[in-house]
Amino acid sequence: MLEISHLYKKYMNSERFSVEDLNLSLKPGEIFGFLGQNGAGKSTTIKCLTGIYPFNSGSITICGHDIQKDPINAKLNMGYVPDNHSVYEKLTGREYVNYTADLYKVSKRDRNERFEKYVNQFKLNKAVDNQIKSYSHGMKQKICIIAALIHNPKLWVLDEPMMGLDHQSMVEILKRMDDHCADGNTVFFSSHNLDLVSKICDRVAIIKDGRLQTVIDLHIKGNKETLETTFCKITATEQDLINQESTLSRNIILHD
Amino acid sequence: MNIRTLLRLELKNRISGNSSSKNSWLKYIGYPILLAAAVYGIYYVGCMFFEMFDKAGIAYEALVILYTVFFLFMCFIGTSSTIKVLYYKGDNEILMRYPVSGTEVFISKTLFLIITQFAITAVVLVPFLVSYGKTMALDMEFYKLIPVSVLFMMFIPFFISNMLAIPIMHLTNRIRNKFGLIIIGLAICVTLMFAAYMLLFDKMVTFMNDTEFSVFSDGFVAVIVKVAEYLIPTKYFADVLIGHQLYIAYPVLIGLTGFGLIGTILVIAKLYAKTLLNNIEVEGSAFKRKTKNRPRPIFMTLLHKEFLQVFRSVNYSFQYFVLACAMPVMVYFCNNITLQLGKDQIGEQIALGMTLLVMLIFATVITSFSATSVSREGDNFYHTKVAPVSIVKQLFVKFFMYFIVSVLANGICVGVLIFTKQVEAMVGLWIFVIVESISIGLTLSSMRMDIKRPYFNLSGEGEVVNNNASTTLSVALGFFVAIVEGVLCMFLSYLAADGFVVPGTEFVLTQNLMYIVCTAFAGIVLIGSIFNYCFKLTKTYNKIAK
Repeated sequence: MLEISHLYKKYMNSERFSVEDLNLSLKPGEIFGFLGQNGAGKSTTIKCLTGIYPFNSGSITICGHDIQKDPINAKLNMGYVPDNHSVYEKLTGREYVNYTADLYKVSKRDRNERFEKYVNQFKLNKAVDNQIKSYSHGMKQKICIIAALIHNPKLWVLDEPMMGLDHQSMVEILKRMDDHCADGNTVFFSSHNLDLVSKICDRVAIIKDGRLQTVIDLHIKGNKETLETTFCKITATEQDLINQESTLSRNIILHD
Repeated sequence: MNIRTLLRLELKNRISGNSSSKNSWLKYIGYPILLAAAVYGIYYVGCMFFEMFDKAGIAYEALVILYTVFFLFMCFIGTSSTIKVLYYKGDNEILMRYPVSGTEVFISKTLFLIITQFAITAVVLVPFLVSYGKTMALDMEFYKLIPVSVLFMMFIPFFISNMLAIPIMHLTNRIRNKFGLIIIGLAICVTLMFAAYMLLFDKMVTFMNDTEFSVFSDGFVAVIVKVAEYLIPTKYFADVLIGHQLYIAYPVLIGLTGFGLIGTILVIAKLYAKTLLNNIEVEGSAFKRKTKNRPRPIFMTLLHKEFLQVFRSVNYSFQYFVLACAMPVMVYFCNNITLQLGKDQIGEQIALGMTLLVMLIFATVITSFSATSVSREGDNFYHTKVAPVSIVKQLFVKFFMYFIVSVLANGICVGVLIFTKQVEAMVGLWIFVIVESISIGLTLSSMRMDIKRPYFNLSGEGEVVNNNASTTLSVALGFFVAIVEGVLCMFLSYLAADGFVVPGTEFVLTQNLMYIVCTAFAGIVLIGSIFNYCFKLTKTYNKIAK
């Protein structure tokens, strides 16, 4: 479904690689979590695989289509939800979803069917004909998700999708991820929420300083329970360890 | 103390911007020079303006008209500044987090508004009044009264603006989303203002050519005298200055100031806090529009989105659609005057070059909007990279929208010039081909500049508020091309009319040669721009990392 092979990415005017020799392979029907501290290279990797950033070397293929050599077909198989929830705010929710549906050549029948389904699921019925600039943070995120799913992509990529969302909205998105994978599609998302990742993902990858540290299969017994410890061991710096050993003023120990 | 700090913050925020120390030095030297030049320019125009009216014996009426126009201008500026400074959402939201009282915020902002009103009045009105005094050879008494007049002109419109700001803000919030109506309204306003300005300018040009005679007919003079009689209360500003009917003028102006002050206090006391909180809480400018899920071809959906992005923004619509709509009228008047000036000073031969120059200058202003093609995407830039549509096609759609607008604007302009017999039909067609070719070239060059150096730093409602370097460069390039093409046409036409023979040969310059050279130049601009635009386009676009 998604193959990332020896990916290297260095920003202009930067001396070090933000992503270095990254290899990943995602299977159909799995939810794959992408973990790492701030600045580890998660968003950079996602932006490379969605075609937003060019990269220095390596290859990325989506459903067999190389993102550099055959970008149109690669992108047709992918839906992307950005971390900043940016949408064309002058359009209404419906206009925006239709705009996306047109770009992905979605037929009228599929469009109507999916539109109604997702708008109902995300409870956006009342707001869908309003201009997006009147939407709340969560509503913008939901309209982004509907637009990303309107063409039923084989690969659904989300960059920190739960950021700033309330509990109900998070549950709705998790349900959508689960349903999407049940249909044989793949979900790839980055997150800081280890608890959530351990509950929903089939596998997770941990990245540190642009390098892939490990890929953990959460179906293997014990891996779910130890995910947080493993993550901390891999990513913690010296200062993090000191912080973890210290206690808060109310005598709560930070590290178990 | 808080008021002083807040006032300084307000002044810094609205005036100075963020400039480096090197730029600050430029400002300290450049601004006073520019200001002095502007003041002298106003004084010079004022002298000519009053001399022209004085020749017809209606200098006093001209002063009344000037006061009226300036009064309306100050009310307009005052109202829009009051809305922006006192009630602007983002600013107040930040200030309310600080440990300062609402009264302190209000006083500091009001002081800022008063300072602004004073600065505008002093810089614009005073040179006009001094030019009146000089033209009419008035004594020191007149000049001593100028500060009094300035004070009245500063405070009365300020109070009126404060009273009008809230109702006008509610009205604009209501019609804010009637985009078609706004564009038509603005286009009519801009066209009328420009037409009025150009008519006056035309009269001044006529007067400059022959200062011995009045440019106004007796009928026109009678109308001006009658109208000036009824221009109340603005005629009282003029009366105070020249000592005419002082027993009415002073009481009226003092009364107006008093009523204005009381009205403002009442409005502020009753509505200021309420309106402020309401503005912060309510997202009043969004609209609801029911549509159906309608599939469109990719080209059309991109074009539709591009159009809506511009159409649903008052800023962008004004910069682009409104100016494009007003362009034919502007070209007609400008061409009329430049033809008259050029023919009188040099000769009939330069008429075509003048027309070409005028058309190209306006075409440059319109096409410079394309220098923000990519920048305008702002935070949504990622859409263009993620979409399963080639970058070339997405950019072509943007170009296509500019092309349609420029074809319509240039076509209508040429139509107007032909219809008003400023040019012949075949010559008009040739002008259209030349101007459109250069417009396409400039559009592509501007787009390419923006692709190379986009400016994503948007503010307000996610719109490009300040023009970026590409816009400035695009305008400069356009003016350069316009001048070269215009001057080339004028120069060759002039030589051809004289039957100029190239020294050392028997080659005689003809009008046909001028057409060939100018067409070739436009062709070079067009082809050069196409090559420049296409060169490594996708690679350059993909380098943009937002």
